[in-house]
Amino acid sequence: MPPLLLRPHASLSHAEALQVAQQAPEFLRKNPASYSASPLFSLFSPPESSKTWTIYENLLLACLRTGDYTTAHQCLERLVIRFGGNDERIQALKGLVKEAEATDNSELEQVLKEYEAILANDNTNVPISKRRIALLRAMGRTAEASEALVQFLDFATTDAEAWIELSDLYLSQGLYAQAIYAQEEALVIAPNAWNLHARLGEMLFMAAESGSDGHPQAYLAESLKRFCRSIELCDDYLRGYYGLKRVTDKLLDKDSKQKKPSDSDEVTLPETSTIEQLNLAATKKLGDIVRKYDAKDPLWQGYDSGEVAAARACLSETSQNMVR
Amino acid sequence: MAQIPPQTLHRDPQLFYWILIPITIVMVLTGVLRHYASVLMATTPKKADIKAIREQRALAHGAALRTNYHVLSRKSFETRRDFLIEGFESGAYLKAPNQKGQPPANPMTDPNAMEGMMGMMKNNMAMIIPNTLIMSWINAFFSGYVIMKLPFPITIKFKSMLQAGVQTKDMDPRWMSSISWYFLCIFGLQFVYVFLLGSDNAASQIAQQMQAQQMPVGPMAPGQDPSKMFKAEAENLAVIEHYSVLDGIEERLLERIKV
Repeated sequence: MPPLLLRPHASLSHAEALQVAQQAPEFLRKNPASYSASPLFSLFSPPESSKTWTIYENLLLACLRTGDYTTAHQCLERLVIRFGGNDERIQALKGLVKEAEATDNSELEQVLKEYEAILANDNTNVPISKRRIALLRAMGRTAEASEALVQFLDFATTDAEAWIELSDLYLSQGLYAQAIYAQEEALVIAPNAWNLHARLGEMLFMAAESGSDGHPQAYLAESLKRFCRSIELCDDYLRGYYGLKRVTDKLLDKDSKQKKPSDSDEVTLPETSTIEQLNLAATKKLGDIVRKYDAKDPLWQGYDSGEVAAARACLSETSQNMVR
Repeated sequence: MAQIPPQTLHRDPQLFYWILIPITIVMVLTGVLRHYASVLMATTPKKADIKAIREQRALAHGAALRTNYHVLSRKSFETRRDFLIEGFESGAYLKAPNQKGQPPANPMTDPNAMEGMMGMMKNNMAMIIPNTLIMSWINAFFSGYVIMKLPFPITIKFKSMLQAGVQTKDMDPRWMSSISWYFLCIFGLQFVYVFLLGSDNAASQIAQQMQAQQMPVGPMAPGQDPSKMFKAEAENLAVIEHYSVLDGIEERLLERIKV
């Protein structure tokens, strides 16, 4: 795993973000404010690499997250000195700082207007388009956000990040079919991303649970397949096993209640015995993971503690059912 | 065995100070100048139009579906395929739908392509003009005599390279004429430029020639008709025999985790 400073900021927990933000002043002190192209300076100053600028960006995000606006401004200033204020990415970062510092809705409106002005000049500015969509969503204007996102995806059809965002947006509104479609588009672009497979499985499962559509059985069957695929792509993937357990529980539960053959659907369920075996395997694996995580086995500490807790709860539920 | 006596030529030591060093300095300075000239002349790459991006991405989208169709179930694959084929064939993604079927524009009249060519012209000019000037300068002032002796022996094959401009048949190839020193400078100063101007400088000609050779070929090579490319992509999509990684995955997984 890359060092903390270089990891994408979104993957950091709160504690890690704080840790990063605390390193910011020292990093700012160690590195020069600007790099000169002249050879004489480059002999005396630390070398400039693309990593430096990734770190600056991460520090900026972490400082904003922890509320250290003065340091954030210093980071931004250096980025502006290096890349110029008109760079697309820098424009987006500037907007982000303004968004973070905004105290009420009217200030956010102001930022939104600025974004729209930039986009009116240059409608291919991807970072700003994305910021505008994110801001719309943050301001609770979901419908406008999804409309803007659909427009954005019309010309950038190969942007997996945007598809995932759209999928999440639809999911938050309970539009399962659309969410699933968008998630599948993301999978077409990144076919081997196990987290996307598992996420799609979760969506399908939710769609089956909600029962708004007529084919919960088909959703469950495909959800089962998605979880299986995510485990196939990534051994010991907790979310995959967790989903597999939930979905097989549900299927077995259903099977016992109503034995309804649904051959009309194209996605067919496997044999009940197979489902049982999968359920057993998932239970066993989840048990393993929880046990090893609790035993502080150094090789098994990479899991998110919340996810492990959910797995633990799920397991205890099952064992209670068994006792009853 | 009679040893061939080493050739000795009496040279004025001033040759060294007044020819060798000036040529080198002039070469370095021209390189630096050329770098800054090309920085000044460089035009920022023109931003692609939103429709052009859309056309390109739509094609890439088709290609992505064609290569990764196996992650989808049959039903969702067929929905997407039908949608894309219809869009591709009707020309909904084209940059200029009404130009469909027309022969591609002549790159000479297309202003976009013209700009790219101008950029290349400028670079070439920045290379050719100073080289011609310096070479004629050297030829006019310093040709016809040798200026230094290399401190190591060298085979006879190098004679034509090192003694350009000196027609003496039997002279040791270690002797070097000024024009040859100029050529050595052209090829040997690259690292000096890297030190002075950074690694992505425009001073060195060799680097520029390399760049010209590996011009990136985008997905849309100029002169190709995008509507034909869309038709071809639609056909590729239509003939896909669908299978899915999800077929029989439960058994596959069970076998794997049982072992």
